[in-house]
Amino acid sequence: MTAPDPNAYSLDINDPEDAELIEYFLGELPDRVQAIATAVSSNDIDELKRITHQLKGAAPGFGFPAIGSAAGEIEGQIRDLDETVESCDSIRAQVDGLISLCQSYISPSS
Amino acid sequence: MADEINNSFDSTPVVLLIDDSKFVHRILGARLRSESISLIGEPDGKAGYERAVADQPELILLDLDMPVMDGYETLRVLKEDPKTRDIPVIVLSGMDSSQDKVMAFDLGAVDFVTKPFELTELRARVRSSLKMSTLLRMLAQKAKIDGLSGLYNRAYFDERLQEEYDRAIRHGHSMSIAMIDLDEFKSINDTYGHPAGDMVISGIASVIQQECRSIDVACRYGGEEFVLIMPETNPEQAFTLCNRIRERCAQMSWSQHPNRAVTLSVGVVGADDGSTISCTPQAWVEMSDRNLYQAKQSGRNRVIASSVDGTSIQVAKAG
Ligand SMILES: [Mg+2]
Repeated sequence: MTAPDPNAYSLDINDPEDAELIEYFLGELPDRVQAIATAVSSNDIDELKRITHQLKGAAPGFGFPAIGSAAGEIEGQIRDLDETVESCDSIRAQVDGLISLCQSYISPSS
Repeated sequence: MADEINNSFDSTPVVLLIDDSKFVHRILGARLRSESISLIGEPDGKAGYERAVADQPELILLDLDMPVMDGYETLRVLKEDPKTRDIPVIVLSGMDSSQDKVMAFDLGAVDFVTKPFELTELRARVRSSLKMSTLLRMLAQKAKIDGLSGLYNRAYFDERLQEEYDRAIRHGHSMSIAMIDLDEFKSINDTYGHPAGDMVISGIASVIQQECRSIDVACRYGGEEFVLIMPETNPEQAFTLCNRIRERCAQMSWSQHPNRAVTLSVGVVGADDGSTISCTPQAWVEMSDRNLYQAKQSGRNRVIASSVDGTSIQVAKAG
């Protein structure tokens, strides 16, 4: 796979269409973070995979390539997981990293 | 028939997006806004398929990774149904394996786009698929149309005849068929030349087109012969319609031969109740042809109508 050109996704906050997309994504993000946290605490690996898969595909287009690649790494790890392992423990650190990355965009000051 | 032939090429193309992620709906909604398309969306395969059947979009953008009914399954269903089979599908996928691509193309996808989207590429692929689908539609449409008259051609007539015949029988509807033939057309070609003859064919065809209602199927049957299928029309109504065509044509003036009027003869055969029809569609056409022959034999420029059970109904003569 060719690495996506990061410039293709860099959005311009001064462009009205870009600003609208950024705002939309930020508006949706708290729900996603909540859903990720819930999936991890209930060991729902399928749900975690679904959310990270969607974030991987969508976040770069909204101007958040870092969220996209963090989510993509988790998705990849889930794919590689031994199917008998039914716990999110082995990926908890990465998930926490993704959550705090998202938090840093949601409330930049804290 | 006009509505079926003319439109569909100038209107804004409808593109259907089937994806379980609302992020994708949002971003494509924004990023394809500058394209002259109308984007509609559904969140899953089942709803997407139903929407495709109902709205007949020009193009479908289909996500592969969806819960319940995934993109492969959706693609299979779309390609199995004649109502959606010809709609081009671009597959959108977060997985970039060549295995996925091969499978998508095998199932009938026209193109494959990887998420996250490279926007210029996505737009270009959407544009080129739309262009291709418009050309294919035009070709399919052209294959049904007779070039000179602009009416449906003989091949399309054969196809529609069977369909309308089956429908009339199934629902017990009335239906009529008319064979129309120009009187002494050969002498127009011989006296004024073939271009004049062609103008007569297309001129008469446009009168037929104008007089027919949207449910009628008007076709050029051969040289100077036309045929009408008139669904949900009893023989009396068909007679009235055909007699109006006959009168209008006889009154037309022709720039290349102002002193030579063009008249036509018509044989109509109709059924009041499709459930009582016992002949084949081919026999029905032959009966119409016999009435046409009668009209010619008894002096031309007239309409002879009868019922499919053989009862003579009406004869209209010139003047
Ligand atoms: Mg998906």
